[in-house]
Amino acid sequence: MSTCHFALFDLQPAFAIDLDQLAVRYRELARETHPDRFADAAPREQRQALERAAQLNDAYQTLKSPSRRALYLLALRGEHLPLEATVQDPEFLLQQMMLREELEELQDSADLAGVAVFKRRLKAAQAELEQGFAACWDRPAEREQAERLMRRMQFLDKLALEVRELEERLDD
Amino acid sequence: MALLQIAEPGQSPQPHQRRLAVGIDLGTTNSLVAAMRSGLATPLPDAQGRVILPSAVRYLADGVEVGHAAVAAAASDPLNSIISVKRLMGRGLADVKQLGAQLPYRFVAGDSQMPFIDTVQGAKSPVEVSADILRVLRERAEASLGGQLVGAVITVPAYFDDAQRQATKDAARLAGLNVLRLLNEPTAAAVAYGLDKGAEGVVAIYDLGGGTFDISILRLTRGVFEVLATGGDSALGGDDFDHAIAGWLIEQAGLSADLDPGAQRHLLQVACAAKEALTDADSVTLAYGDWSGTLDRAQFAALIEPLLARSLKACRRAVRDAGIELDEVEAVVMVGGSTRVPRVREAVGELFGRTPLTDLDPDQVVALGAAIQADALAGNQQGEELLLLDVIPLSLGLETMGGLMEKVIARNTTIPVARGQEFTTYKDGQTAMMIHVLQGERELVSDCRSLARFELRGIPPMVAGAAKIRVTYQVDADGLLSVSARELGSGVEASIQVKPSYGLSDSEIARMLQDSFAHAGDDKAARALREQQVEAERLLEVVQAALAADGERLLDAEERAVIDHEMQQLRELAAGSDVGAIERQARRLSQVTDAFAARRMDAGIKAALTGRQLNEIEE
Repeated sequence: MSTCHFALFDLQPAFAIDLDQLAVRYRELARETHPDRFADAAPREQRQALERAAQLNDAYQTLKSPSRRALYLLALRGEHLPLEATVQDPEFLLQQMMLREELEELQDSADLAGVAVFKRRLKAAQAELEQGFAACWDRPAEREQAERLMRRMQFLDKLALEVRELEERLDD
Repeated sequence: MALLQIAEPGQSPQPHQRRLAVGIDLGTTNSLVAAMRSGLATPLPDAQGRVILPSAVRYLADGVEVGHAAVAAAASDPLNSIISVKRLMGRGLADVKQLGAQLPYRFVAGDSQMPFIDTVQGAKSPVEVSADILRVLRERAEASLGGQLVGAVITVPAYFDDAQRQATKDAARLAGLNVLRLLNEPTAAAVAYGLDKGAEGVVAIYDLGGGTFDISILRLTRGVFEVLATGGDSALGGDDFDHAIAGWLIEQAGLSADLDPGAQRHLLQVACAAKEALTDADSVTLAYGDWSGTLDRAQFAALIEPLLARSLKACRRAVRDAGIELDEVEAVVMVGGSTRVPRVREAVGELFGRTPLTDLDPDQVVALGAAIQADALAGNQQGEELLLLDVIPLSLGLETMGGLMEKVIARNTTIPVARGQEFTTYKDGQTAMMIHVLQGERELVSDCRSLARFELRGIPPMVAGAAKIRVTYQVDADGLLSVSARELGSGVEASIQVKPSYGLSDSEIARMLQDSFAHAGDDKAARALREQQVEAERLLEVVQAALAADGERLLDAEERAVIDHEMQQLRELAAGSDVGAIERQARRLSQVTDAFAARRMDAGIKAALTGRQLNEIEE
């Protein structure tokens, strides 16, 4: 990896970032690096532009998503992160199972209003996790807690994806 | 030093010429070419002043008709008159058989899985048919703009998969066009609309053409067009409305559904005319053979309701994918001739809760947007720069154990994008790994489109799970994919530019390029070779002419022999494909003719020969 994603966007590594400012900076950088700017250049330059633009897009997507940003921050802190979730978190897992059951019931009853309520609750839960993570990620003593919260964010991302898929099925 | 050709006085090329670039909307039903003229995107008309070129090609024993004439012959000569060929682009024979009952052609299998259409001129691939349409547009543009084109932006439905995009690019190549960019149709429309109206904020582009449907959600911010999500159906369009009416007519008239190709074509023309009439009239009288009857708007609306429902569902999905709610969409723009159908406008308006915008000509807006981007890519643009950030319409992935699709890049990811994923071996001592590249949203490999297969060989034998194989997907700004795989321990590598299973095989392309080598376009290597060959031919002609004129007088036998020898060498090399060798030999020939050229100048022959395109020494 070359430049740190945060540095690329002129930001200090932090969890709480201004997403609007991030988007503005992204558009500025995209103007400079997009392959369209190199339509006339030599093939080598075009390839480099393609790679740089792809890197920029990747950096932007990483910083835009709270869970990916959280994972990136923890990785920046140097310590190795296991790929699979090994953090013990039985309480959260139990809660997850209950949420999933609830989702299945919503599917069976094709309850669109219920899905909308579920989505709002999910959003609130995500916001809460993000606040928790922002408060502890840079304290070495709370590293384990930060990792746990990051895993929880990933779980909720997956759940949000399932809600989207459910909406799609109910739309049929 | 180089031998230089002198042009006739008054014919010398203008120094700071504007670089000519065009936008081409290669549509299912109609195609257009547009360019920037006096700062405005303008469609270019043909000699009769017509802007629209029907996307129809008729093959005759001794020629090809493209456009209006081919449409006129569609019912009388259905097997040789190819219409709506875009629906076949990048498709396999199996896909086409699904559309089969509706297409009055004789299909034959080619070397690849691509369906060829049997015509009086032999088997034609959809790529060749499309190339014939593009060629007419290129010639129109060159005549109208008065010069060679630097390149073209060709639009494709946003929902086109990799195979369909590749097929489109191949067609442009065959037509002698340098493709500056493949641009998604709704994005092109957004450019034309956004720049025209100075729009900002979130807009939806509902693009229902003759054979394809796209929905794109974009955020417009000061010249940046950021596609948030796109969706659609590459087999849904106004043609289907015609088929729905035709089906209704068959039922009403008590006809057999098993019509011959000419009757089928005629029936579809009757249906299409009725559809168009219903744009302004409340009801229309149809006649077919002895039967006649009336179709009103409500009946027509009922006939197309299932098709419309499919498009609206795609809209809802795109809005969800964009991560927004329906009411956050600030404007809805209608694109494509089929959005003239009143029921379509009404239904889209109901979904988004606002009246769709129809003030730009829905047939032209895509070509106009493409022209604006072509101009920018050719380097002619001034002022605030335009930037298009597009996405891939369908997820890309690979096959994993158990016939499952593992996604590597999710749909609606901004392009260009590169992403790697690590895999490992599952058997002890495994030395090769098959990589099956897929596109689609479904879990099962069999439900996704197979784009390519390739093998990574030479993995050092290790215990199962010890090898680390990194597979990298890269999608460029045209939305085209290339894949590479690398074993990290040993550095063993394999890669492919994805040539889709449904695309043309390399040998088919090679044959077609030979058929039309004068137009051989964009492939950089082929182009460089061709340029070098042309250069060599030109040099040979020039030297030959000089020898014929003054060889006897100014050269002795030995000098003459040296020049003849170097010319022969160049002729032989130019017939081959070694670009470097041709270039070196051309330089050599120039060197050995330097003294000869100087002597010709000294002898004052130059003056005597002006007007015969003679040569001079420059530098």
